[in-house]
Amino acid sequence: MRKLLCAFAGALSLIGGVVSCQSDEEIKRQKYITEGILLYQNYCANCHQPKGQGLAALYPPIANSDYLQHKDSVICLIRYGMQGPVVVNGKTYNRVMPAQPQLSDLEVAELVTYIYNEWGKETQLTGLNTVKSQLEKCRPKN
Amino acid sequence: MKVSIIPASFWQPLKVSLLAASLLSFVFACNSPGDKLPVLGEKEAVTRTVDGKTVTDSVAHQIPDFAFVDQYNDTITAKTVAGKIYVADFFFTSCPTICPKMKVQLKRVYEKYKGNSDVMLLSHSIDPRHDSVSVLNEFAANLGVTGKQWLFLTGDRDKMYDIGQNSYMVTAQEDSSVPGGVVHSGAFILVDKDRRIRGIYDGTTAAGTDKLMNDIDRLLAEYKA
Repeated sequence: MRKLLCAFAGALSLIGGVVSCQSDEEIKRQKYITEGILLYQNYCANCHQPKGQGLAALYPPIANSDYLQHKDSVICLIRYGMQGPVVVNGKTYNRVMPAQPQLSDLEVAELVTYIYNEWGKETQLTGLNTVKSQLEKCRPKN
Repeated sequence: MKVSIIPASFWQPLKVSLLAASLLSFVFACNSPGDKLPVLGEKEAVTRTVDGKTVTDSVAHQIPDFAFVDQYNDTITAKTVAGKIYVADFFFTSCPTICPKMKVQLKRVYEKYKGNSDVMLLSHSIDPRHDSVSVLNEFAANLGVTGKQWLFLTGDRDKMYDIGQNSYMVTAQEDSSVPGGVVHSGAFILVDKDRRIRGIYDGTTAAGTDKLMNDIDRLLAEYKA
């Protein structure tokens, strides 16, 4: 009986630990999203529009966009911009997307987290380390 | 110089006179709903000789004749807008800041007055070196604009800046102190059939554009009365 109680208490504290860990993670995710919304409004919404719907055949949508499956590329183009034709949901778009070199790695992570939580059906954050290592890979060499 | 990025200072610079003018129009609009729209701009003194006497009249500010080229490579002059009211604005195709906002708003105006032969829209490129006829043609098509009611104009850069600054009273100039190298205002300018400015609106907001469309209706009604 004693053993059982002990095991029970142990299990409880384990669950408690996991739960509190998750809520820390959840708080961080909410923070990223909150910052991400502001960044999106400042740097993205003019062209891609406040609800991510894009603008006619000029600027592609982010909401319901099949391009979101290329997350590595999304991380890179937020910082370094993009040129040349791109196909989104079967339609070709061809306008220069300006680079945003002033965005920090953290800001890119916040933006990506917001975009993927809002339109990519994700429920976790895209962490700073993921973004940092990806940005290192696509940094233009010169 | 290649223009690709436009700074936050984009928003800022409407000239004081413009501010005063729009303030005036606001006051007028509040005081006398349903009445005629005001004629904006400083009056110009014109001196002429009548019966051997020198007479000086004050004449309302008027958009002078101009000559630019549109997205179909046609020459567009004051004759093109003769007998029409039109909305003018300034933009450039590679601008990522307020221009897309303005184009979203102006597209609403376009959709509302599509097919109304009394109304035209003239969007002047302030980056005419990049915005060639073919660039403008593709831009208009991608925006979903067809026909000749909404024209995208390119041409001599100095003349473009001059007509912006001195005739439409909006800021449009190169400024090497800002990151993109060009500043311009986000204004829509409503011009009547005598090429007189009747209203200036914030083209970056839905509210400003709603007021423009309301005033277009009022101006059209003036000509019906």
